[in-house]
Parts: sequence; structure tokens; C-alpha cells
Amino acid sequence: MKIRSTGALALASSLAAGSLAMLSLGGGASAASVTNVTFAYDFPGPDFELIPLVVAQDQGFFTRAGLNVKVVFPPDTSTTTKLLVTGAANIGFITTTDMGVAVNAGAPVLSIGNYTMSNNWALFAKPGVALSANNLKSELEGKKIFSYGDTWTESMLPFVLKKAGLTDKQVDIVTDPTGQDFKFLLDGKVNIATNTSNYEVAGFDTSGLKGKEPTLLGTAVGAPNIPIWVYATSKSYAKSNPKTVSAFMSAVKKGTLWAIANPAKAAVEFDKLYPKSGYTNAYNLDGWKLTIPFMANSSGQYFTQTSAQWATMSKALKSIKLISSVPSPSTYYTNKFLP
Amino acid sequence: MSVNELLQLDNVAKSFGSTVALEPTSLSIEDGSFVAIVGPSGCGKSTLFNVIAGLLKPDSGEVHVADQVVTGTSGHVGYMLQKDLLMPWRTVEDNITMAARLTRGVTPEDRAEARRVAHQYGLGEFLRHYPHALSGGMRQRVAFMRTLVTRHPLLLLDEPFGALDAQTRLEMQQWLLQVWKEAQRTVLFITHDVDESIFLSDRVLVMSPRPGRIIADFANPLERPRSLDVLTDLRFVELKSQILHLLHGDS
Amino acid sequence: MDSNSQDDSVSTVNLDSATASRGLGGFTRSRRRAVLRNVGIPILSIALLLLLWQAIVVVFHVAPYIAPRPLAAIQSVTDNWGALWPLVLGTVRETIYGFVCGTILGIGLGVVMAKAPFLHRMVYPVLVLSQGVPIIALGAPIVLILGFGIAPKVVIVAWIVFFPVTVNVVAGLSHVDQDLLNLARVYGASKWRTFFLIEIPASTTPLFAGLKIGATYAVTGAIIGELVSPSGAGGSLALYQEHANTNFNVAGVYGTTMVMTAIGISWFLLIVASEVVATPWQRRTVARRSLLHREPDVDLTSTGH
Repeated sequence: MKIRSTGALALASSLAAGSLAMLSLGGGASAASVTNVTFAYDFPGPDFELIPLVVAQDQGFFTRAGLNVKVVFPPDTSTTTKLLVTGAANIGFITTTDMGVAVNAGAPVLSIGNYTMSNNWALFAKPGVALSANNLKSELEGKKIFSYGDTWTESMLPFVLKKAGLTDKQVDIVTDPTGQDFKFLLDGKVNIATNTSNYEVAGFDTSGLKGKEPTLLGTAVGAPNIPIWVYATSKSYAKSNPKTVSAFMSAVKKGTLWAIANPAKAAVEFDKLYPKSGYTNAYNLDGWKLTIPFMANSSGQYFTQTSAQWATMSKALKSIKLISSVPSPSTYYTNKFLP
Repeated sequence: MSVNELLQLDNVAKSFGSTVALEPTSLSIEDGSFVAIVGPSGCGKSTLFNVIAGLLKPDSGEVHVADQVVTGTSGHVGYMLQKDLLMPWRTVEDNITMAARLTRGVTPEDRAEARRVAHQYGLGEFLRHYPHALSGGMRQRVAFMRTLVTRHPLLLLDEPFGALDAQTRLEMQQWLLQVWKEAQRTVLFITHDVDESIFLSDRVLVMSPRPGRIIADFANPLERPRSLDVLTDLRFVELKSQILHLLHGDS
Repeated sequence: MDSNSQDDSVSTVNLDSATASRGLGGFTRSRRRAVLRNVGIPILSIALLLLLWQAIVVVFHVAPYIAPRPLAAIQSVTDNWGALWPLVLGTVRETIYGFVCGTILGIGLGVVMAKAPFLHRMVYPVLVLSQGVPIIALGAPIVLILGFGIAPKVVIVAWIVFFPVTVNVVAGLSHVDQDLLNLARVYGASKWRTFFLIEIPASTTPLFAGLKIGATYAVTGAIIGELVSPSGAGGSLALYQEHANTNFNVAGVYGTTMVMTAIGISWFLLIVASEVVATPWQRRTVARRSLLHREPDVDLTSTGH
């Protein structure tokens, strides 16, 4: 998953540092019962969606759970799932569509908890440009639409085009895995950017364009409403280390709730741990605040997955031929490690 | 200047910095003659040639070829070096016609002439060969034919057989005499081989270094045509000893 | 190439083989063996490599989502050929345009630098600097200037190709036999004729050395270009692979790599073949008969010496 962007993003430096950088969050934990856990993020460098883990470390939730968590950053967003199945990482952060294609390829991965509960992926236009669900066809036809080329965007765009009554030949999809969507949009190199709202809106906000971003939520124009990110592990790790996985999710939940209650402090803790992330504190805080509303479901639950969300996801991927068959939802997930 | 003099040098001199490569030198070469120049290295033989060919502008003096002043200009002589300087990317035929190609473009007549010369002098079946397929002696023959077809009456040959083995060199010397006779050209021939200079020439000029100058001018008494027997002729031996004496002083 | 062979015996052997090669039987036989040697052995080694790959995957039970079997990788190519073919053409087009631009630029700079020592000293540090720039870092600025089309890819390929061409052209032109140039002067040749008839052909071998180095990197350059600069409508081979990668289509990733490799090798072989055609004297003892100027056939038995 590559849905990250900001005008100030120092991608090159975070790529260089992130591909090999391993930052120990374990601190001074030295008790005999400490279990080492390697956690793989979904992006080559740290950003605000890592805040729950940062807090779990900084507030000692991991240490008290007997865990020594080391965060690693993959060379690219498609590698995290592979790190899990090869055992190079124990627990990781991926998208539900990554789960879909991995399971379809026979990779034994297992989702152990939602990160967000709904789909905040959206289309964005340059300030001042009209963007509404009513004139979808005319607003997309013949336009340059930015895509990160990742599984999520590839899964969502077809639904939007279908809703607009367009084929992918009637639009110009500009694919750029290096993620310059925000820059391209403001420079007029693309007409439409695609991203999740927490990242893109934070980008607008910190570029002095607060509230001026024409936004069209994907779910309003045909995209399925499914959670975007999940915590995942390999089936074999889940089987052999159930207590560790449970302890991890429990500590992450504490971190999440603490960060939701204290967003400003949480953002400062992030900056303290990752002073060279390339992002400003304002961006991190704004982004985190924009993430919070999507983390609980309508019943106020965190992390809890449903068979319905996985069925919707797999049927959606099957309908655009990204996967060959629709497996039982239980193939993808379990809630048994949730506190 | 006499009518049958093809080349005349009037007090031609050339220095490189403080080194006098060639003292003021005057020289007349009769049309149709074969003149050999012998001398140790550094005696100014090659400087003399380069001045005649127009590669070097003399500090003073004039060069006349066929009653024309050609001092410091080129394009009036055939020139050949110890290195065959054949173009590896050209066939034998194209190498022979090189001068025409470099100056005005090759005509069918040039090609016909190249073929005629090649057939006449034993390279007829190698016209479409590339130089690398030929022996050293054959390559020198091609280089000579290239010099010949320029149609310049004066040919400057600078140690053309210097890199060949003794056996091949003897063959090439006899071959050259035959071609010279038939082609009726004037040849100035630099060599460091005294035997070669006498065997080939009508006249032998001896040069000496520091400063480079002509120190002797011998008329060759041997009549033509010459066979290898002249190498033991008394007049040959006498001339050779005089030249060697000049070249090596009292030793 | 040494135009002044000191060793007559070697040259004579050449001559003998040259004469022998005109005998038809010997020619075709040696030719057939050369083809077997030059084509058969490489194909055999590639087949063995695929076999080894298959054996490792089977023996060590490597899961297909880690590394596919070679047949699966090949099948991912054949099954998706309809989608791949336009992308292959796109990469080939980027390679050709970039290679041609890089070659023209490389030769032009090489000639200027060889002919003007002052410019040589001025330009050379800039050239070295240009090759020190990590191509990846060029992606963003090039895209903002040139957009999403073929232009950024062409620029990156040309950027990679021109340098070895320039260096080799400079070396080639600087090492033309000075005596040969003097001979041309004695004949009264113009500078232009000397340049085109002597200096350029004398530099073909180093030029092709540079082109071959450029050719090995040209396709890599095109792929890098496709990775660092986004592609508009239609996509690119690199993005196709990227999609296969993100979508856990491991066979597709390996298959695309095979296709990219095939393009790279084909391009290199094409340059090698054009060198063979452009420099017949490197391999042949006798020039092919041209239609333009024919000379009468000569009876081989009547050698004239």
C-alpha cells in the first residue's frame, strides 16, 4: 500500500534510510521473559499511521506485555506481505486487498485485526476545480487520473470508472509508484489525484490550502466500503505464538486508545522516535486526527473484523479479475487475538 | 635548370628549435632516375622527404618539381613508408585507389588502372582481399601500387622494405626494379641498407647527421639490367666500401 | 589493428587460409560448425540454467509465491502476451529512440572533443559528473519538465548511452595512425575527406565497443525510466511488473523479468550484428562482391608470383 503523500515529503531520503533501517522500540527491556517481535510497516519510511505502535512503545505497553518490538520498513509497499510469509517479519501492516491477492496466490497470511473500519479512499482535484458525484462522467472523461499503481488503487478505480460509465481507455491513468500525486495535482500534471483522505487532506492542510480541497469519497461513487488496513501475520506464526500475538494486539489497542485520547502528545512521541521522518509535527498531528474517526465501527468497536467485510473485498477483487476465486471469509481472518 | 631535371632543391634548410635537421641543401634529380639516399638515423633523410612532399615547410630555400615551385605545398609526389599504411577496412583494390578517393573521388578509369597494375604485378587475384589476409611483402607491393597509380612522376620511398625479412626484401628489390623500368618514374629511395642502395640506384647520396647534410654523391657504375650477381661485382664492392667508410668514419 | 605485420609467416598462413576458404566445401563446413558453436552453446547453457532453476524449486519445495517454476514464469508471459506485447513495443521504442539520440550525441561530443582539446578539457568533467548522478534521482525533475510520455525514458536511455560512445569515439579519433594522416596530406587530401575516409572508419572498432557498452545498459535505462517516471495511458513494462509484484503474481514478476532480459539481449545482439555487417574486414578475408563494381573473375591457378 502506498497511499502516502505530502508536498514536504522527503521520499528519497526516507527510502534510502528506510529500506535497511531497523529501529528498536524495545528500549531497556531486559527481563528474561521478553519476547522479540519484528513488525513490518507497509511503507518504506515511518509516518503518522505508525503512531499507535509508537505510543505502545513510548508508554511502555509493549514492555509490560513482555514484548521487544522491532519495526522494519520494507523496500517497497508490496514486500511486507512477503516478509510475513518468509518469516523475516512476525507481524505486519498491510491492506485488505494485499490480503486478497496474497491468499489468492496461496500465501499463508492471516489478518488479525482491522486498523481502520471503513474506506476513506477518495478522489481529489485542484482547489477551485469542480468534483461531484453528479457529473462524474464529464469530470473524469479524458482526464489524467493519478494512481500509485498499488493493489488498493487498482481495486478501487475500476468501480469508480464503472459508476461513471467509462472504460479505462477513456481516461488517462498516470501510474507513479514514487508517489508525487500531491505535487502533480498542484502543478496541473494530473487532473485527479487518488489517495486516502487522512493523507491527502493533511497534505492540503499543511500546504495552506485547508478546506479548499475538492474531494469525492470513493464509496460515494461505487467503491466498496471495506476497511483499508489490517494487522496481519503468517498462519504458522499465529499457530506457534498465539500468546505473543494476543499480547501484541492488546498492547497496540492500549497504544491506539491512548493516542486517540492524547493526539498532540502522541504526535510529539512520533517526532521523538522518528526525528528524520521527513514530516512536520503539524502534518503528523493533522494526519493522525484525520485518521481517528475511521478507527472505530458504528458500535464503537476497535479492530473487530467481520466476515461481511472480507466477503465484500474478495467479491470486489474477483469482479475486476484481480483474483481468480472467492474463498471463504474465514480464510482471511481471525478475531481470536483481539483483547 | 636543365630540361631533364624533375626535382630541384635550392638551399633548402630546416631546423627544429636549436637542432639543425637539414643544412642548406641543393640537389637536382634527373627525370627517370633512381636515386638512393643512405645515412644513419638522425641524418635528416626523413626531414628532406617531408620537405619535398610538402609535409614540412622549409625555413629557407625552394623546392621545384617539374619546373614548378611547390615549396610547402602537397599533392605532387607519390610517398611510401616502411609501414604499409594500408587501410584495414578497404580491399586491396580500394587501397590502391586511395589517393584518388582522398582527393577527387574514384573514377572507373582509376579502378581499371588499379586492376591492371595489380594483375601486371602479381596481385590480380587478391583485389577483393582485405589487407590482413596478405603477407608483409604483398602488403608492401599494394602500398607501392597505391603510390604508383597516383601518376606523379616523382616517387618518394622511405625505407619501404625495412620491415621485411632478408629473403622477401631481395624479392621485393628485384620486383621494384622491374616495375620502375616499366612504369618510367623517378624514384628517391631512403634506406639504411648500403647493399640495397647500390643494387637499386643510378646514384647514391650519403647523408650525415648533426647537422643533417649530404656529404657525398656517387654515380653508380653498374649497368642495367642487374641480376643478383652484381652483389659480388668488384665495382659494387668498391662503392660499398667507400660508402661504408663515409658512414662509419675511420673505424 | 596493426597495419604493419612484422611476422610474415603468420600473415602467410592467413593468406593460405584465405585462399582455402574460397573452396566451397570447406567454407560451408567451417561455417556450419561456427553457427553450432556460436548459437548452439549459448542456447544449451540457457536451457541448463532453466533446468537448474526448476530443479532447485522442486527439490527444495520452494513455494510458488516465493519463486515460481520456470515453466510457470514462461506461461505467465504466453498467457498475457496480448497485454504484454504493446508494452514490449513501448520499451523497445524508448530503447531505440534513446539509443539513437545517445549515439548521435555521443559521436557529436566525441568528435568535438577529439578535434578541440580546449573543449575536451571543458566538457570532460561535466561528462564525468553526468555519469555520477544516480539515474533514480533524475526521475522527479525529469518528469516535472518532460511530463509522463516517452520523453523522460528517452532522456534517461540517451543519458546512459552517450557516455561510453563519447569516450570511445574520442579514444578512437585520437589514436588514428599519424603516418596515415600524413600520407593523406601528402596526397593533398582535404580535411573533410580525411575525416570521413580515414578517421571515421579507423574509429569504427572503438565506436562499436562504446555502442556495445551502451547497448547493454540501454534497455536497463528504459526500464529505470519507466520506473522513475510515471506512464500515462497504456502503462509500461516496468509498471506491469510492478503490478504483478504488488498483486502477488510472482510468476508474472519472473516472466516480465525474462521478457526484459530478452529485449536487452536482443538489442545487444542487434548491435553486435550491425558491427559484423559494418566491419566486414574484421571477419572476412575477401570482400563480398558488390553489385556496383564487378571485376573479371581471375583464374586461381595462374598466380602471378
